[in-house]
Amino acid sequence: MEFENIYKTYWDRIFRLCMGFVNDYDIAQDLAQETFIIVWQKLDTFRNESGIGTWIFRIASNNCLRQIEKEKRFLKSELPLHITEEKQYSIEPQIQFLYKCIAELPETERIIISLELEDVKQAEIAKIVGLSEANVRVKIHRIKDKLTQKFKENGQ
Amino acid sequence: MDNNIDFKGLWKQQVVNSPNIEELLAKLKHFKKTSLRRLILTNAMLIATCVLILLIWYYYQPQFLSTKIGIVLNVAIMAIYLLVYNRLFDAYKELDNTDSNAAYLQKLIAIKTKQKFLQSKMLSIYFVVLGLGTCLYMYEYASMMSFLWGFFVYAVLLFWMGFVWFYLRPRQIVKENSKIDTLIDTFQRINNQLEADV
Repeated sequence: MEFENIYKTYWDRIFRLCMGFVNDYDIAQDLAQETFIIVWQKLDTFRNESGIGTWIFRIASNNCLRQIEKEKRFLKSELPLHITEEKQYSIEPQIQFLYKCIAELPETERIIISLELEDVKQAEIAKIVGLSEANVRVKIHRIKDKLTQKFKENGQ
Repeated sequence: MDNNIDFKGLWKQQVVNSPNIEELLAKLKHFKKTSLRRLILTNAMLIATCVLILLIWYYYQPQFLSTKIGIVLNVAIMAIYLLVYNRLFDAYKELDNTDSNAAYLQKLIAIKTKQKFLQSKMLSIYFVVLGLGTCLYMYEYASMMSFLWGFFVYAVLLFWMGFVWFYLRPRQIVKENSKIDTLIDTFQRINNQLEADV
């Protein structure tokens, strides 16, 4: 698969995964960019053992985990990509609340629920995270309960 | 529990700005250049240091064996220091981003633990050998001075080394270690999330 195609197909999904992890638009944008830098570097090592989606989501989620290391010295993007309508992302409060709730979950749960919401199959999520499928299923169920609870408490 | 909130629907409504591909590609090119530049710079500095020391050897023609041993020790420890750090850098390169999160976290913890060990041990070894090398190197020149001057030069040198050893070194180690410890703890905690039974 061509890098450009991958980029077009996966940018939005990777961005949302990163956004669910950090709930900060600029940092998520940086994390998504870093992910694609790694994808670009590693593309020729990709063998079709796993689906390209699984492969990319692994890179993205690992990069999110690695971000913790940089958290304290995190600087805004060194090379900001020019986003034309900069502050256009004042979205519905409900969407904001969902991302906020997810970003408050334990790190691995953020990844699991983001992948679930991206319609990644549970077997694939298991491969990405490194858990058994049964384990993933139970976790997703619990996370959804947690989120529902939070939404109810907040009267959303 | 009532589960009728459409999380997927909400999730996908997030506004996403896709930067255009040309800009991303430009950034990729820049990225390639900077990492290459860093590599060249590190090695250039190492080579320059060695060349400088060897030039001193060549121009001043030291007579004493102690001077030569001192030079060799200093060059060797600098080279070893850089080598160890480069190997640590290699360990990071081997860190496979395409692993599962669980495997990735475990490798990250292993690397950080290794880094902690290397930093404390290497820093101490580095100071000891560099100090020893410098003392040996200075001996020839100090012996040409009057006793008082020689004594003075060594006193200043030893005072500086004591300061580095007893003050700077422990502070540096504590600082580095506390940073790494926090990271190891965090990665361990995340790893435990995966290991906890459901």
